[in-house]
Amino acid sequence: MDETTVKATFDVYRFEPGKDAAPRYDRYVLDLTPHTPVLTALLKIRAELDPSLTLRYSCRSAICGSCAMQINSKSRLACESPIGPELARDGRIVVEPMRNQPVLRDLVVEQGTFWQNYRTIEPHLILDPRHPMPEGRENPMTPAQVDRFKETPRCIACAACYSACPAVEADPAFPGPMALAKLYRFVVDPRDHATQDRLVRIQTEGLWLCLRCHLCTEACPKEVRPSERIRDLKELAIAAQGATEHGSRHATGFKENIRERGLINEMKLARQSVGLLGLLPQVPQGIRIWRKKPELFRAPHRIEGHDEVEKIYEALDDGKTKEDLP
Amino acid sequence: MLKHDVVVVGAGLAGQRAALAAVEAGRDVAVVSKLHPLRSHSGAAQGGINAAIGKEDSVDTHTYDTVKGSDYLGDQDAIEFFCREAGPTVIEMEHFGTIFNRSADGSLARRPFGGMGLPRTIYAADRTGLALLQALWERLGTERFTLYEEWDLTRLLVREGAVQGIVALDRRTGEFAQIGAKSVVLATGPYGRVFGRTTNAHSCTGDGVAAAYAAGTALKDMEFVQFHPTALVETGILITEGARGEGGILKNAEGERFMAKYAPRVLELASRDVVSRSIITEILEGRGFPGGYVHLELMHLGREKIESRLQEICDFARNFAGVDPVTEPLPISPAQHYMMGGIGTDIHGRTNIKGLFAAGEAACVSIHGANRLGGNSLMETLVFGKQAGIAAATYAASATAPTLRDGDLDAAIAPLRAWSSRPDGEDPSTLREEMQAVMDRYAGIYRNEADLLEGVRRIRALQKRFAQVRVVDQSKVYNVNLTDALEVGHMLALAEVILVGAYARTESRGAHSRRDYPQRDDAHWMKHTMALRGADGPQLSYGPVAYTRWEPKERVY
Repeated sequence: MDETTVKATFDVYRFEPGKDAAPRYDRYVLDLTPHTPVLTALLKIRAELDPSLTLRYSCRSAICGSCAMQINSKSRLACESPIGPELARDGRIVVEPMRNQPVLRDLVVEQGTFWQNYRTIEPHLILDPRHPMPEGRENPMTPAQVDRFKETPRCIACAACYSACPAVEADPAFPGPMALAKLYRFVVDPRDHATQDRLVRIQTEGLWLCLRCHLCTEACPKEVRPSERIRDLKELAIAAQGATEHGSRHATGFKENIRERGLINEMKLARQSVGLLGLLPQVPQGIRIWRKKPELFRAPHRIEGHDEVEKIYEALDDGKTKEDLP
Repeated sequence: MLKHDVVVVGAGLAGQRAALAAVEAGRDVAVVSKLHPLRSHSGAAQGGINAAIGKEDSVDTHTYDTVKGSDYLGDQDAIEFFCREAGPTVIEMEHFGTIFNRSADGSLARRPFGGMGLPRTIYAADRTGLALLQALWERLGTERFTLYEEWDLTRLLVREGAVQGIVALDRRTGEFAQIGAKSVVLATGPYGRVFGRTTNAHSCTGDGVAAAYAAGTALKDMEFVQFHPTALVETGILITEGARGEGGILKNAEGERFMAKYAPRVLELASRDVVSRSIITEILEGRGFPGGYVHLELMHLGREKIESRLQEICDFARNFAGVDPVTEPLPISPAQHYMMGGIGTDIHGRTNIKGLFAAGEAACVSIHGANRLGGNSLMETLVFGKQAGIAAATYAASATAPTLRDGDLDAAIAPLRAWSSRPDGEDPSTLREEMQAVMDRYAGIYRNEADLLEGVRRIRALQKRFAQVRVVDQSKVYNVNLTDALEVGHMLALAEVILVGAYARTESRGAHSRRDYPQRDDAHWMKHTMALRGADGPQLSYGPVAYTRWEPKERVY
């Protein structure tokens, strides 16, 4: 533990909608040790410099999920982000409210939609009346079945993933990484009897809107790795229902294309993803592309060493039994 | 005007369980919480939840261990009831969807915990509270009720000995409102933030306990404050008892496994008061590390066990102390952790005010007596949360509608308005820090008459200054400066009750250790402290401890 203090400069977002004309950044300079968490620094600012600085916080040990915010443009928990590395990288610490949620005041955001999306995936066990819970004793569950939850039980609903997600920003129909990770948690629960319904439903309710950028996984303070759970859900959804949506048909078509020739057949993949009728609205754009890059409209050659591609597919297919699926 | 049959204040495990029971009984239920329910401090509980469900275990053994752990101050009839309910309760939580660790045969896994002779603690890695809180919230979410999210309790409305509702502050709008209720359940958790060195969240400020005290409810056994043996030295962040349950050992600066001197039979798994005193004794006698701490070693457990069963504390140690428990010992010392005392209730959560109920850490039944066993508090929230919810619903079914008068709201708000309008005054943060310093110094693990008297004097001086508290922030929206002031006002009242009770109790029992009275004194002190608010501070009286089968013996671990 380094006990020498450094001068730490904080530029903190301040805004009260309806009162302030525009957001501003207030600068505070404090002498702190490098391992001081940003939350501790903000509370010191509140106690010593400006009691009107507004934020949410409670446990200060990364378990209540209250203090997620943007720290030097990354969605983080303030309580477990030491100032040292931030200062070393950026020279100062810019503190802003989470993204994708309207600001209530300063660092406090309105989370109604975030919580509503979580409710929408029906986060509770759905039982089959024909299979009631065992009376007076627990449902048996093997340690291997517990492992299938992966890290999803660690989720503290801090919304750091939701803040980091560009799909949330682009499309209100996307429920967000946390809600989908939570859905995964119920899909793999051996006590739940709605697995099939859940998977079918999510195929049309946002699953395929994920952009696979993995920013949620980077932001998650609890190793829940939401983007990987979304990928797991996609695999399970295709296994449960087949490829019924543009997104899932694109995924299976992609896989088929590469297996055939080692390259994408763009025309074929487009047709596979959206169907012939679905291509009709794309015709004007298709003509423009055809003028500039006619080669895209020819089936590609089979790549050299294609047998290696086939070997990879076989290895993957062999290696993955049903039990290996998430 | 806002009105409900049952208003539950606090949305941790006790509050949510009470709400679920009241909803299931068909009442119109509202839950009022200053945090989103999933942010409640119940979620920070790590180690596990006790129930005698093993074949080799029995309700009787669990009862005996709890009675002994309580240093014979727990009410034995209540403890028996509690231990009987524990098994069905943990099964119910499994059925609600809690993801517990499992044994190879698929049954609920159990780990050893302090003060118990066999593995009885069911767990979800080292985040059992979080696992339970999520499952219960998700179960409650399938029911209809009203959630007042981020509302702060400021006072109870009581008329002619019967509760009429509450006054609360909506943080988002800055407006105060009366919420009428036929019955109110207080489940606002502890007030650990009266101490500076605490494992408790910033939000643990005893709002419900203070409101009950102000309204004329008796607070019980407030002097009994549990100090957890193992908190990270610098921050007070909790390192679960599960770490010792899994085989972690304590060593002083001389490399000695010192618990062999204090609890030769069970070593690190003695009850918490014993281990905390042992650590402090080592430090006071010069065998601690510079800066005042000892080591908790986990390295010998191996990377796999540490990283799978103690995942969260691995992160805590690495992120908050810069120490890797796989390769290095953790620097730890005791910190305030749990309040055995609280709003005096029976096993149905009833208080001395009609229609007012309490449950969880805010309440004192008492099953923990002078010292709580690890793993019993999560179970307490659920067992007694449910009981309080049922009792509140039953009471509401026959109670008359509450009468609310505008004048009551005005009277409640007027003093708070003065906080924001005075040009000069006391800063709530400063008052809080000074209060915490007083409690750390004068009401800690070892106590004596002179310290406690000095503590009372200083807290009363702070109470006087609080009368001139000033809220600088003039905004209505999410005014944390205002809620800081509300909270420190609540805590200053409770700090005084702790000190006065501790001063009066001239014996050492469980977590209450008087240097000047080192022995337990059953002849004079086998009784519960009851504190009522009086004009000049708490008025103490004493009530009997309920016995069934177990005669007090000396506690040896």
